[in-house]
Amino acid sequence: MSGTILENLSGRKISILVAILLILQVACFLIGGIIAPQPDNHQVVLALACKDQLGKQNDTSVWYWTRGKGKCAGITQLDIEKDAVKMANQLVYIFQMPLPREGRVLDFSRWQQNLIGVLSVDIAFDKSIRQDVKEDLILDVRLAYRNKGDPEDKWTLHSHSLETRSLTCKFDKIEDEAMFTCEMMPLFELGALHHDYYLLNLRLPMDSDMGMNTNIGHLHDVELTAIYQNGGFTIVWLSLKSVFFPLIVAVMIWFWRRVHMLTRKPALLEYMIFSLGASLTFLNMPLEFLTLYIEMPYMLLLSDIRQGIFYSTLLSFWLVFAGEHMLIQDTGEKKTLRSYWRHLSAVVIGCLSLLIFDLCERGAQLKNPFSSIWASRIGTHFALAFIILGGISAGMYFIFLCAMVWKVFGNISMKRTSFTAMSQARRLHYEGIIYRFKFLMLATLSCAAVTIAAYIVGQISEGQFKWDEDIEVEIASAFLTGVYGMWNIYILTLLILYAPSHKQWPVEHSASNENIIAEEIEFSNLPSDNNPSEISSLTSFSRKTAFD
Amino acid sequence: MDLLLVFLSLLALSEITIADIRNKPGRGRGSMWWGIAKVGEPNNISPYSIEPSIHPTLRRKQRRLVRDNPGVLPAIVKGTNLAINECQHQFRNRRWNCSTRNFLKGKNLFGKIVDRGCRETAFLYAITSAAITHTIARACSEGTIDTCTCDYSHQTRSPKTNLQSVSVSGVRDWEWGGCSDNIGFGFKFSRDFVDTGERGRNLREKMNLHNNEAGRAHVQSEMRQECKCHGMSGSCTVKTCWMRLANFRVIGDNLKDRFDGASRVMVGNSVRSSNNINNGNKVINGDSNSININNNGHEIKTVNVPFNVISSNSIPRNSMKSKGRSNKKNHRYNFQLKPYIPDHKPPSIRDLVYLEPSPGFCEKNPRQGIQGTHGRQCNDTSIGVDGCDLMCCGRGYRTEEIIVTEKCACTFHWCCEVKCKNCRTKKIIHRCL
Repeated sequence: MSGTILENLSGRKISILVAILLILQVACFLIGGIIAPQPDNHQVVLALACKDQLGKQNDTSVWYWTRGKGKCAGITQLDIEKDAVKMANQLVYIFQMPLPREGRVLDFSRWQQNLIGVLSVDIAFDKSIRQDVKEDLILDVRLAYRNKGDPEDKWTLHSHSLETRSLTCKFDKIEDEAMFTCEMMPLFELGALHHDYYLLNLRLPMDSDMGMNTNIGHLHDVELTAIYQNGGFTIVWLSLKSVFFPLIVAVMIWFWRRVHMLTRKPALLEYMIFSLGASLTFLNMPLEFLTLYIEMPYMLLLSDIRQGIFYSTLLSFWLVFAGEHMLIQDTGEKKTLRSYWRHLSAVVIGCLSLLIFDLCERGAQLKNPFSSIWASRIGTHFALAFIILGGISAGMYFIFLCAMVWKVFGNISMKRTSFTAMSQARRLHYEGIIYRFKFLMLATLSCAAVTIAAYIVGQISEGQFKWDEDIEVEIASAFLTGVYGMWNIYILTLLILYAPSHKQWPVEHSASNENIIAEEIEFSNLPSDNNPSEISSLTSFSRKTAFD
Repeated sequence: MDLLLVFLSLLALSEITIADIRNKPGRGRGSMWWGIAKVGEPNNISPYSIEPSIHPTLRRKQRRLVRDNPGVLPAIVKGTNLAINECQHQFRNRRWNCSTRNFLKGKNLFGKIVDRGCRETAFLYAITSAAITHTIARACSEGTIDTCTCDYSHQTRSPKTNLQSVSVSGVRDWEWGGCSDNIGFGFKFSRDFVDTGERGRNLREKMNLHNNEAGRAHVQSEMRQECKCHGMSGSCTVKTCWMRLANFRVIGDNLKDRFDGASRVMVGNSVRSSNNINNGNKVINGDSNSININNNGHEIKTVNVPFNVISSNSIPRNSMKSKGRSNKKNHRYNFQLKPYIPDHKPPSIRDLVYLEPSPGFCEKNPRQGIQGTHGRQCNDTSIGVDGCDLMCCGRGYRTEEIIVTEKCACTFHWCCEVKCKNCRTKKIIHRCL
């Protein structure tokens, strides 16, 4: 009878393997912490107020820019203040990205992947307002792009939209003038940073009849924070992917060949491990290289979906893994995914609701980068409903999982008491199996713990951590690459250690020979032994003890 | 012209040994650049050449800075005007109302008050230095200055570190790890530009330096952090944070508070203080915000703790390029002023310091550059300093009635008209005799 490699590998070999994997793991953390820059960076762009051409406000081919030939000179704050109506309906706020640095005109690189815009405003309200403000802000936003070879005044429309954002402002401590500092508003998300220069023209249409922006005071400062992924981080990230992708694929092929060499059909757990490998491979595929040549605005959505598929497979795998080691299974019946439907439904519902949420948010952004599900009230309720549904299913899932793992451990310790009835050699062998099973459970738990701990550390101390003058560790990047590497290594371990072993049971040569023969007979009497779909001798052991 | 300036500064150096420097004209030499505020409109200044009219207001190093950083001049003009406006706003209800003179002719913008080391002067230095920091940082964000630095704080991280060409490494940095926040450049530029004339060799120059630093420190400490989560499905697995400059009014308010609680520092400890630095004693500056240790005058190790914000975006206070220069420069800031009354706490980095009590601002005194409060508006119901009793120094006031025409009841239509009515309101104002 055959087991998995995990049971038949000697302790020394396991420790060597674990040591190698640990070194790989540390390397993943260090690559992120020391080589890579922080995952994202930002550029704060201050709006230049510019006077609109009369009658051209609705013409989307008219652009205003701050630098280069034909630029807009801009109006000073003082001129706006002097005007009785603060130049309402006459102003365009312009943002040109990226900003020049060190005497050079910078341009966005395609390695920088994506661009997120966040708007912050300082508003001077009427002097009578003395409390916090909650209003709707209506923005006419237009995004244009230009490429390096283009003439300096050739801006091409990317997207145009009339957007509503809720404006929440806190009354500042300023005594004699009602100056408000408002909460930032997410403005746009571009999934593909394909062009070299971007230009944003923003207007605040005011209309008394429609009640547009009439309760909004006078905009003092409009600031756009453009967040992009760092090119260096993309390079490191893609290199990691390019290393893990072929590695996992190779191990998967090896695993599947080993499974097929057996006479029996693959077991459920083997299918699960294989699909886990497949979903990881899908995640590992360095598709981002294509963005260097093709404009792929759906990249953000795709990477969310890829991660979602991987995590849902991982969660389902844990359930099945715990279930298959339950030790009190009814015999004979071949397990399928269907027998876990109750537990798996939590995963499916959770993932589906998050998928719907993501499709609504990121999917809509494919059409209009300014749209956001959070912008409208109904959208916010909708989004919250799905997130809460996802949260509830996550909670359910963890209750299921914890209950199952609890049961497994309970059964293991219960069955331990019946060890005295067995021969010593066999007992040691079983103990070893249980030990290694626990070891893998421990690995899973520590992986989860490291993920959570790294996440918390990343949240508390943003930015880099300084060890001494020369070594700085970028915690956020270390967290991302480390955790990414960790799950790769985890699945690599699963693929290797849970591949079926071709070794036979070691022939025992102890004094209690008769006892073994007796047990062998007992084993062969078990229905499970006739059924070669058994994955490990651990489960066969469990059935035997259950039979007892 | 330059030679003359050098000669003048040499002359000034020889004067320093004289301890008591009260009321000596020309004490505010380092602040002559304030005059730039009155030079034409910012739009008229060509960014590449310095017009003859601003030439005399700037020192040689300042002119070099302006030449090397195209686009910086309009920002400085804007910053100086911002400082004047803020100062006049903060002091609109006081006897000294931060008035400026229109015709400079080699005189200080704020008049002779700058010659005295009083509270008002301290405020002027702090607010101008803060305004320059603020405006330059904003100009970088507007993209009107091309030369804002991209010194990513961990430049060593990028694959090619030892590049000779700065600009090439800048572009490489940008692609690899992006650029640093703009406030760093504003801070550094303000130190270079504003502190040029102040060598810190005598007490008055130390006072100016301290107040300039205080202004910048207020800009820095009022920055607020904002964060945006943008991980998987918008979760917080990836978070980006940045610093947002406060409205300049907030900084003005804070500086006004410090003005009211400014510390008087002692005359005559200037020599000892500079000896302290030269002899390599340990000097702890302010509320331990920056600790400078000087070993035998060769190696200066500077440990800096940011004021309020500890984050990736906080300003590297010594982000100078060459080590040697940085040491020499920071030397200037390694001093601790002594309180006039020994029991008082030594001034912290954000406190304003002054040397002598303010003159009375009631009566016009052209010799001291005081305009008096004749003709100033006052509030007849207030019992504070803006009240007519105090403001007019007991001389009494006259009451006028004026009619103000304002636009009101405006209706807006998109796109794109605005219709307003004219409203006339009566206002009663009081003016000091």
